[in-house]
Amino acid sequence: MILIHCPYCDEQRPGLEFAYAGEAHIARPADPSALSDEEWERFLFIRANPRGRHHERWRHIHGCARFFNAVRDTVSDKFELTYKAGEPRK
Amino acid sequence: MADTPVRSMPVPAEPAVFSGVTIALAAPCARWSLRARDAALLEKVTGLKLPRKIGEVVGETVCLGPDEWLTRAPAGATLPDGAGEKVAVVDIAERALTLTLSGPAAARVIAAGCPRDVERLPFPYASRTVFEGVEVLLQRDAEDAFTIEVWRSFAPWLWTALTQAAADMEHLPA
Amino acid sequence: MSGYRIDGLGRVDRSRRVNFTFDGQAYAGFAGDSLASALLAHGVTLFGRSFKYHRPRGLLGAGAEEPNALVTVERGGGVFTPNLRATAVEIHEGLVARSQNRWPSLKTDFGSINDRLGRFFPAGFYNKTFMWPRSFWEKLYEPAIRRMAGLGDAPTVADPDHYAATYAHCELLIIGAGPAGIDAALEAAGTKQRVILIDENAEMGGGALADPALAAWLERSLKALAEAPNVTLLKRTTAFGYYHDNFIGAVERLTDHLANPGPQSLRAPREQLWRIRAGEVVLATGAIERPLVFAGNDVPGVMLASAARTFLFRDGVAVGRNVAVMAAHDSGWKDACAMARAGMGVAAIIDCRSEVDPALVQEAESLGIDCLIHWSVVGVNGRHGVKSVQVLHHDDFLDRRLPCDALLMAGGWTPSVHLWSHSLGSLAWSDDWGAYLPDKPNEKVRCVGACAGKWSFGSGMNVGHLETNRNPAAIKAFVDFQNDVTAKDISLAVREGMKSVEHIKRYTTNGMATDQGKTSNLNALQLASAAMGKPVPEIGLTTFRPPYTPQTFGALAGHAQGPLFQPTRKSPIDSWAEAQGAVYEPVAQWRRARYFPKPGEDMHKAVARECLAVRERVGIFDASTLGKIEVIGPDAAEFLNRMYTNPWKALEPGRCRYGLLLGEDGFIRDDGVSARMAPDRFHLTTTTGGAARVLNMMEDYLQTEWPDLDVWLTSTTEQWAVIALQGPKAREVIAPLVQGIDLSPEAFPHMAVREGTICGVPTRLFRVSFTGELGFEINVPAGFGRHVWEQVFAAGQAHGITPYGTETMHVLRAEKGFIIVGQDTDGTVTPHDAGLDWAVGKKKPDFVGKRSLARPDIVADGRKQLVGLLTDNPAEVLEEGAQIVADPNQPVPMKMIGHVTSSYASATLGRSIAMALVADGRARVGQKLHIPMPGRVITATVTDTLFYDREGSRLDG
Ligand SMILES: [Zn+2]
Repeated sequence: MILIHCPYCDEQRPGLEFAYAGEAHIARPADPSALSDEEWERFLFIRANPRGRHHERWRHIHGCARFFNAVRDTVSDKFELTYKAGEPRK
Repeated sequence: MADTPVRSMPVPAEPAVFSGVTIALAAPCARWSLRARDAALLEKVTGLKLPRKIGEVVGETVCLGPDEWLTRAPAGATLPDGAGEKVAVVDIAERALTLTLSGPAAARVIAAGCPRDVERLPFPYASRTVFEGVEVLLQRDAEDAFTIEVWRSFAPWLWTALTQAAADMEHLPA
Repeated sequence: MSGYRIDGLGRVDRSRRVNFTFDGQAYAGFAGDSLASALLAHGVTLFGRSFKYHRPRGLLGAGAEEPNALVTVERGGGVFTPNLRATAVEIHEGLVARSQNRWPSLKTDFGSINDRLGRFFPAGFYNKTFMWPRSFWEKLYEPAIRRMAGLGDAPTVADPDHYAATYAHCELLIIGAGPAGIDAALEAAGTKQRVILIDENAEMGGGALADPALAAWLERSLKALAEAPNVTLLKRTTAFGYYHDNFIGAVERLTDHLANPGPQSLRAPREQLWRIRAGEVVLATGAIERPLVFAGNDVPGVMLASAARTFLFRDGVAVGRNVAVMAAHDSGWKDACAMARAGMGVAAIIDCRSEVDPALVQEAESLGIDCLIHWSVVGVNGRHGVKSVQVLHHDDFLDRRLPCDALLMAGGWTPSVHLWSHSLGSLAWSDDWGAYLPDKPNEKVRCVGACAGKWSFGSGMNVGHLETNRNPAAIKAFVDFQNDVTAKDISLAVREGMKSVEHIKRYTTNGMATDQGKTSNLNALQLASAAMGKPVPEIGLTTFRPPYTPQTFGALAGHAQGPLFQPTRKSPIDSWAEAQGAVYEPVAQWRRARYFPKPGEDMHKAVARECLAVRERVGIFDASTLGKIEVIGPDAAEFLNRMYTNPWKALEPGRCRYGLLLGEDGFIRDDGVSARMAPDRFHLTTTTGGAARVLNMMEDYLQTEWPDLDVWLTSTTEQWAVIALQGPKAREVIAPLVQGIDLSPEAFPHMAVREGTICGVPTRLFRVSFTGELGFEINVPAGFGRHVWEQVFAAGQAHGITPYGTETMHVLRAEKGFIIVGQDTDGTVTPHDAGLDWAVGKKKPDFVGKRSLARPDIVADGRKQLVGLLTDNPAEVLEEGAQIVADPNQPVPMKMIGHVTSSYASATLGRSIAMALVADGRARVGQKLHIPMPGRVITATVTDTLFYDREGSRLDG
C-alpha cells in the first residue's frame, strides 16, 4: 500500500484513504456548446496516458475530502509531488 | 401520542470489557457539520471558536478539512443555521454514533484495522480515516482514550470488528 | 529412539517425548523437532511423490527452501492443511501428518507410471497438449491430468478457525533472525526507534542454531533483545511480500504448533496477518545452498550439505551413518569436516573442481575422509534411499561404485533476494558468488549478512550439469524438484526457441508456483547459459513475486470472514424487519428487506399480496437507504442547475422536483426527487447505490470546476430514516400522528415537502410517490426511525397496513414505467433513450452532459430505447437480461436488437409486464418481437412503459 502526501493535511497518509480521479489539468470548457464535435471529443475522451511522469488527480476522500493534483511516475509508481487543486501545472 | 419517542441504537448499550480495553457506546449528542470559506464568518454565525489546522481539536470542535468542521454539544442543544450567510450548518446528530475505546490496549485494537500509526497520534487530535474498508472519524483525547465516530449503518459491523479484535488481543502477547 | 539420533547434539528437548503419526505409522520425537527431523531420526527417507512424474522424494533442505517433502497435516473434523513443508512443521503430541501425491500408498504409487512415460511429458507439455483437438482435451487429457496432478488436495469443509490481522508501524523492521539480523537488532536495541525483528522459524537464530560455537552468543543476544522495550520479536512469522513504501506483509502462525489449542470458541486466532509500515527495512534473509545437477540427484537421501549440517547440529539427527559429499564449493568440505568431527560417518568428498584448497583436503584426510578431486557423481543407486553412488573421474571417464547411505550436495550459495526483488531493488551478478546480489535499492532498505553477499562460505565453481559419461538424453537430472523440471527440459526449451529466461520459466515451469525458484533458479540459468552460449548475466533473471512461501487464505483474509466478511450496512428499521422474518437482498453494501413472507408464502405469493395491499389500502416501506445530500449556500440553486438536466432556479421552497443527473458523456448516472427547503437549502435524494458516487461527482465539480460557487454539500443519508407510506389510505394513517402540517390535498399537494412533527419527532414530510398511489415519505432523525415506524404501523392496522420490500417496490414502479437507474439503464442510456426528454431543461444553456446530447452517435438513428413488452401469454414472465430479436427464424447467430431490463408478474394487472431496451424501440410500438429461450421462442408486443393508471388519477388517493 502506497503512502500519499496530502497537500491540504500536509501529511503522508495511507493510500487506502485516497481515491484516484483521472488525469489532471483538463478543465471543463466554459461554453461546451461552442465546441465542435472534434473539440468536445478531445475534452471528453482523449487522455495523455504517458509512460513516466503523469499529472493526475487524487481525492483524500477518507481524510480532508479535498481533490488535489499529483505527479506520479507510471513506471516506478512513485509520487514526485502533490499540490493543491487550482495551482498551476508543476 | 403520549409516549416519549424511543431512541434505537444499533449496538449494545452495555460496554464490552476486555483486558486492557473497554469498548462502549457513547451517549447520544448533538452534532453539526459546519462549512465556510471564511472561518471568522462561521465563528460569528455560530459563536464557536474554530480550530484552523486540519486535525486540530478545540473544545468539542474539530477541523476536518480546509473549509470543514464538526462540532458536538449535549443532546438537545441548538445552533443557528446561518440562513442567507455564506456558511452551511447541517444537523448530523443522528448520522453517526460514537464508540469510546479506553485502556492501554485501545491503540492496538484500533490498529487491527486502521492503517494510521495510531500509537503515535498526538492528542487531542481527530481525523477521518478508515477501519478496514469503513470510513470513521478517529479521535484521540488522551494516551489511552480514543473515540471512533462511524455512520450508523456501519456501526453493527464496526462493533463486531472492534470487539473481535479486542478478544483476539487477549490471546496475543503485547 | 532410533540410531540416527546423536547423543549430545542439537537443541531438541530430550526430556520431552512427543508422539505423532505419519501415514498412519506411529513415531516419537522430541519437543523442538520438526516433522522432518523427527522422521529422519527414525531413518525415514521417503517423504513424498513428485508433482509430475510421481518420483519418490525425500528431503532436499532443512528449511523454507524445501521443495519435495510437502505433507498434509490433519486439524481434526475433516479439516486439514495441505502442502506444508515437513521441515517447517513443528511436531506436537498427537500430530497426524500424511504424505501427498500418491495412491494407494507412498511406497506403491500408480502415478509413478508417469516417470516411465516421461518422454510424453516434455517441457511445454501443457502448451502442446492444448494444441490438440479440443474434444481430446476435455474428454481425455484434462480429467486424467486432474487426477494425477496438483500439489496435495484442497480442503472441502469450511475452515473452523479464525484469523487475526493488524497494522504495525516501526522505524526499523529486520527480516531474518540469523546472526546478521540479530546484530542489526542489537544495534538498535535501547534506542527510541521501534524495532520489529521477525523470523519464520520456531526458534530465532537462523544459521547460528546449527553452529554450537555460537550457542552462548545466541542465548545472550536473544535475552538482550527480549528485554529491550523498543524491540518486538515475532517468531514463526514469515514476511511473504514487500510492497510500496516499505509496506511488508507477514503472517504469524499462532496455534498450529500447539498440541491442544483449546476449544474452538476460546481458541486464539490460528494466524495473524501483520501489515507493517517500516521507516527502514533490513533484510537479513540469508542464503540458500544450491543443489547440483546430475542423474539421480532427486533420489531420497540426496540432499543439501547445509541441510544435513542443520539436522545434525540443530536437531541432533544424522541423515546417514556413512555419507558422501558432492561438492563444487568449499562450504561442502567445511560441513563434511564439522559433521565428521561430531561423530557422523563421512565416507568421501567428491569435488568436480580440478583444484581444492590443500588445507581443506588435509583436514578432511586427517578425519579419514576419502577425497576425490576432479570427480563427479554420475548416478545414484537406490530408489527409496541411497545405497551407493557412481562416481566418475574426469580424466579417464570411468566410473566406480562408492557405497554410502546419503549423498550431500554443496553447489554453492544463492542469497535470498526474494523480498529485495519484491521491493524492486536491482540485482547485480557476482562472479564470486555465481549468483545475483542486491545492488541498488528502490526503497529505504539495506541487506546484511549472506543476503548481501557479506558472509564467507569459501569459494566455489559455477557449474551447470556435472560431467557425465552417459547419454544426456537418457538421464533425468533435476533442476526444479518441486515442478519436476530436468536439465533436458531446459535445453529442449532453448532448442525450441525460448530465448528469454521468462519464456523458459513458463515453458518448463521452472521456478514457478509455491517454490519461486529458491533452489532451482541459478542452476536453470547456468544450464540455459550453456545451451545458448551466453554468459548468465546476459540472460537475465526471472521475477520473484510474493508470496515468498505459500500462506493460508485465512491469514490473508484476516478478520474478514463470517459476519465480518464485508461491512453490511443496516438501516434504522432493519431490526424490525428481521423480527418480522423479512427475506433480505443485498443492495450496494446494504441489506434490504426484499419481501415479508407470511407462513407458506413464496416470494411470488408474498409480492403479489404486498402489491395489492398498496394498490387497495396502504403499504409501508423502508426507504432509509436512499442517498441524501444537504445542499446549502447562496449559489445552491445555480449549482443544481448546472449539475442536473432540469431547471432548479424557479423551484419554490416547499416543493420537490425529479432530478436527472448525467455524466459529461450524456449518459444517465443517477436520479432522485429533491426538495427546496429554503432559498439556500435543498434536500437532495439519490439512488441507494449511487449515493457515494453522486456526492463524489458533485464535490469534484464544486471543488475543481466551479470553486467560485458558494455551496456546500453534506451527506445526510444516515441522518434520516425514511418511511415510505404508499396507498389510498396513506393520508388517513398518518393524519392522527402528524402535528404542524396541513395534510389536505390543497395545502399539501403531490411533490411538496413540509416540516412538522410526527409521533413527537421532527420530520421532513415529503408527498411523493414511486408507486403511482397517494404517498408520503416520512423523514425522521435516524435514532427515532424505528419508533416512528412502529407507531405508524400500529396506527395503520385499522387500515390493513402491509409492510413491503424492495421486490414489491420494483413491481409497483414498473407498473408506472418509472426507471431504476442501473437496472433499466446501464451507463449507455441517454434521457431520450429512456423516454425522459421531459426532464431535460430545453432552455438551459448548459448542464453536465448537455453538449454530449448533440454528439453524432447520440443523435443517430438505431439507438436502443426503453419500451414496454407484453408477452402474448400473460402468464409468461420474461427473464431479465433475455435478448430480443425481430425475426426468430433468421439463421444463427441472430441479430440481437435489445434486451429485457425489468420483468415481473403484476398482480394488479393480472399479467406479466416487462421493460426492455430495443433498437428504435418507440417506432416499434405495436410490433411483435421475439425472445429466444432454450428450446422455445417467446413472442411479445412492444408498448410504451406506462402499464397502470394512465391518467394518474390515483395520486390523490
Ligand atoms: Zn487531506
